Amino acid sequence: MGTDDISAELTRNTKNAPPELLTRVFFFICAALSVVTTASIVVLLVSEAAKFFSVTAPLVGFAGETVSMVDFLTGTTWQVGSGEYGVLALVSATILITVGAGVISIPLGVATAIYLSEYASTRARSILKPALEVLAGIPTVVYGFFALIYITPAIQTLLPDTGTFNLAAASTVVGIMIIPMVASISEDAMSAVPDELKQAGYGMGATKFDVSTGIVVPAALSGIFSSFILALSRAIGETMAVTVAAGSQANFLPPWDPTSYLEGALPMTAAMIQLLLSDITGGGLAYRSLFAIGLTLFVLTLTMNIISDVITQRYREEY
Amino acid sequence: MATEDRTIDGFGQVSRTVGTVFRYLLLAATLIGIVALVILLLFVANDAIQPLTADPGWHLTFFATLVVPTLAVGGYLASRNQSAAAVGVGTIGLAVVTTMFAGGLSLIFVDIVDSITWAAAVLTLAVPTAAVVAIARVSNRSPLELLAVAVILYYVSLFGVPGPLRSVVGTGQLLPGVGSVVASIPVLPVDWMLLFATFTLPVAVVVRYYARQLVDDRTATAIVAVGLVAVAIAATAAPTAGITPVPATVLASVVLLPTMTYVTTTALSRPHDRVGLALPGAVFGGSLLGAVAVRTLGYAGPQAWVDWQFLTSAHSRNAIDAGLYPAIGGSILLMLTVAVLSFPLGVGAAIYLEEYAPDNKLTRLIDVNISNLAGVPSVVYGLLGLGVFVRYFGQPSGTVLVGGATLALLILPIVIISSREAIRSVPNELRQASYGMGATRWQTVKNVILPRSFSGVLTGTILALGRAIGETAPLIMIGAPDVLFSLPADLSSKVSAMPLQVFAWSSLYATPEFYQRAVPAGVVVLVSVLLSMNSVAIVLRNKFE
Amino acid sequence: MTRDLSSGVSRRKFLLTSSAVGAAGLAGCTQNNDGGSSGGSGGSGGSDDSDDSDSTATGQPLSGTINIAGSSTVFPLSTALGEIFQEDNPEVNINVQSTGSGGGFANFFCVGDTDFNNASRPIKPEEEEQCSSNGVEPVELTVATDALTVIVNNDNDWATELTVDQLADLWSAETQPQQWSDVNSDWPDQDIELFGPSDASGTYDYFIESVLGEEGPGHRQDYSGTEQDRTIVQGVEGSEYAIGYLGFAYYTENSDRVQAVAIDDGDGPVEPSLETARTGEYTPLSRPLFTYPKVSALSEDHIAEYARFFVENTTNQDLVAGDVGYVPLTDDQQAEQMSTLEDAIERAND
Repeated sequence: MGTDDISAELTRNTKNAPPELLTRVFFFICAALSVVTTASIVVLLVSEAAKFFSVTAPLVGFAGETVSMVDFLTGTTWQVGSGEYGVLALVSATILITVGAGVISIPLGVATAIYLSEYASTRARSILKPALEVLAGIPTVVYGFFALIYITPAIQTLLPDTGTFNLAAASTVVGIMIIPMVASISEDAMSAVPDELKQAGYGMGATKFDVSTGIVVPAALSGIFSSFILALSRAIGETMAVTVAAGSQANFLPPWDPTSYLEGALPMTAAMIQLLLSDITGGGLAYRSLFAIGLTLFVLTLTMNIISDVITQRYREEY
Repeated sequence: MATEDRTIDGFGQVSRTVGTVFRYLLLAATLIGIVALVILLLFVANDAIQPLTADPGWHLTFFATLVVPTLAVGGYLASRNQSAAAVGVGTIGLAVVTTMFAGGLSLIFVDIVDSITWAAAVLTLAVPTAAVVAIARVSNRSPLELLAVAVILYYVSLFGVPGPLRSVVGTGQLLPGVGSVVASIPVLPVDWMLLFATFTLPVAVVVRYYARQLVDDRTATAIVAVGLVAVAIAATAAPTAGITPVPATVLASVVLLPTMTYVTTTALSRPHDRVGLALPGAVFGGSLLGAVAVRTLGYAGPQAWVDWQFLTSAHSRNAIDAGLYPAIGGSILLMLTVAVLSFPLGVGAAIYLEEYAPDNKLTRLIDVNISNLAGVPSVVYGLLGLGVFVRYFGQPSGTVLVGGATLALLILPIVIISSREAIRSVPNELRQASYGMGATRWQTVKNVILPRSFSGVLTGTILALGRAIGETAPLIMIGAPDVLFSLPADLSSKVSAMPLQVFAWSSLYATPEFYQRAVPAGVVVLVSVLLSMNSVAIVLRNKFE
Repeated sequence: MTRDLSSGVSRRKFLLTSSAVGAAGLAGCTQNNDGGSSGGSGGSGGSDDSDDSDSTATGQPLSGTINIAGSSTVFPLSTALGEIFQEDNPEVNINVQSTGSGGGFANFFCVGDTDFNNASRPIKPEEEEQCSSNGVEPVELTVATDALTVIVNNDNDWATELTVDQLADLWSAETQPQQWSDVNSDWPDQDIELFGPSDASGTYDYFIESVLGEEGPGHRQDYSGTEQDRTIVQGVEGSEYAIGYLGFAYYTENSDRVQAVAIDDGDGPVEPSLETARTGEYTPLSRPLFTYPKVSALSEDHIAEYARFFVENTTNQDLVAGDVGYVPLTDDQQAEQMSTLEDAIERAND
């Protein structure tokens, strides 16, 4: 009797008291804003791109110039002035840059991660980690400028056939730009490998090299792999560096040919900038193609992010 | 026999060559990117500052007065007294970074907001805040009543009675708002005094808060008071040095006051490290001495493209006269807008996800959503700004508001993710202790979690703002002008930004003059701003980790 | 524990001195508040040392914002004029954006967002329709002439004069000649190296329109296309068998590194120069450049003044030819433009 009354008096359900309710509602709105953002991106891209493709334009009641989706997805000529809208020309350039950036950043990034997590002293780590953050913080326009002014002449002295705008310089700077991303995510994955495994290896007489390459890396492989995918998706979405350095002529270059790197081409993101800035005619159709490319880009990066999530979830070693 | 006699000559030597080679390969790989960037930055700095065009005598003078003493003092400190060296470097860093920020702030107070408007705005917000706090302390009202009173007071202060509702109420303006009252006072204190009261004093309060952590209250107050006197002296004496009082006040408040306080509190609280102050003394004293020396000896300095004229003039068709001023102002305004928009929303979302969210599908959806948004390319955010803000909401294109909102959306996922990390790092015991004492969730958040995670949240926000400063593509998409001749005056003026201006120079004005002069200078300014923001974030993180 | 004030100043003295200082300070340190100035004390966006600041009818200095967008070709001219106008009228905020002629019409001008649209070609009928459906009435003003220049290497002595047909052959997508001798058997048996603007450029469009013809063979794609004129110059300068075309502005800056080809449109070969372009002798490669103010904007004083300033300076050789690199208008052409403008301003103020 007594204690029940007392505890009933002392108990107050504050869950819906005004300050609690207000703050909870406010914080929920903030978090929901992110969902609203994604929803708006999807709605905007889909509705505007629907006005671009012939198959979907009647569905949204749009009557104007359109392009057939098959032509868009399989065409290899992108020439807005003459009405050619084949996105493969842009996709090939994006693939070339992504692959080139990956070739540079993945080995260097993984090596950096191994060094930082296994070999570096605390002092070295405290210098190298901020340095890598600075590397990631330099604006992308500056990287594009570097590619155009300093790296291209360097490449031209080695390979005189290189054009002023070439994909090699662009992919080099994009690669340098995403090294920190690969390094930090891989390093997180490697640090999560429990010490017992490493100590077990050392106890068996393995050298540091054996432990790093034979135990830590395989154990952290899912995290490392997801870092590749995230970094490559960042390379796909990279805009300003490639706009400044890779050129403005849309060529379909075969992605399997290394000499394609010496020429200029137009990746998807640079094409979007160009659509808004150049002296082209036909504001209507070209404006709508902006959203079609944007939709392609969004789908690509979303897919890669989801794949990376799935890999992390499914193949992560649970310790 | 059971046992055998077998001698084992040890286990032999395991070859270490592979390991050593591997280690150095890794180190080389780690350093390649950093070294490449340093080389590129040196190239750009060389193009922009042109150190080789200076007289040899100039170089020699500064070598003798600046480089040699700094190296000597620095070497001595590094070998004998590490913490003193840290104090010295910290002072220099503080002075440099605050000067940069002071430059930006004085830009705002000189050209964008005039002191009377600023004072009116501060008073408009301060008066109702003080009233609400006083009422809350004195009387015992419930939170809802307090909230209602606060809303009414803020409304009256901002708009007067009845303000914009007068068309509904039907009467004329009975009472003006605080802002209009201030603006209609016929005689006001001089500009710099207004700034002193409304800007310097708040800065002094913040500085004193930090000084109190090192020394006791009275000393802290005394030190800050001396600092305030120094600011006042600087403001009145500045015209003799050719600086108008308003920027002098801002500069003194942001640079002199904190640096002096830091130096004095460190000297008082860490007597062993006082010798570290010799390092900034060597650097600043040496530079001053060197500057006086080259002027008397008549040596010409380098013909740098990054000079005062570059920083304070607008774009011109002649590369020599071109400058970055409107772009710098635009960047600052954009950053303020982005910070105001993204900080509360980002931190709020992070708090919700870490503290309030139940472990159900909706939360997981939001989780996945945020990590996906962090990977969306910046052009797509630009499209979002274009499609939603400009077309759907009908805002004019390329304004501060639209640009700031688009950039805020861009960095919101980054702010959320880093704030979540910071909040997660608060030990669970503290939370449970707070709940165990009977605190509600909001009380726990307000009193335990936010203070402890504040530095991590701040670090993440500064890094995200640094990313936003460097973004160009979204601004191009929402229609920001390529060339702007004057500073944006309010939220709905067109705005340019530093990276956008550099991009315009390198693509639309692609002549050799621009490439060799204006573009490297712009790049150097942009990179300096970013490096200083990054270093502030790193120092914050190291200090509070 | 109380700390002793070792400075030894008594409280009364302190109060007295501080209030005396404060009164003295206040006496000399107040200002009259005349409603607050807009924008604060002087920035350094340019000095107002000339006496040319225009003013409205009431004698007040001009102020306001002017939003300009449009062609990247006219962009340098627009920004140069904006810069000079702003030096004389610091209260006027001019901003210029390079969006391309078509993009400028469709996305900014015809929806009412900008006051001027620069264009390197005349407005199209569908753009006029879009404008009128949004209540925007454009006024066509010619502001300069651009002379598209064909350039060859300085050591090229066989192709210094070309007919329009030969030019079309060289660049035709149908025939795509690989060697000079494929076009004219007198020419060397060497591969042609071609440089030109990318297909996003108005210059490219204009070349097709004037040389190849809209109905003719398309523009060949196997050339080195670039947005940056300096690359075209570099390419042609670097190879004896190279040929390229670009806008006049860039050629004049580099006239010693490459040579211009004289174009024969049936009346004999004509070299590009200020004179030949201005008089119309250099055909078909001289194209007019336009700017389109909207009539509703012209009712505002600062915009009307700026438009007048623009037309006045279309004959300014130092500025248009020297600084920017286009061909200025003749006096007759300027008078025509000015009367069109004045009519439009009158209409706006009705």
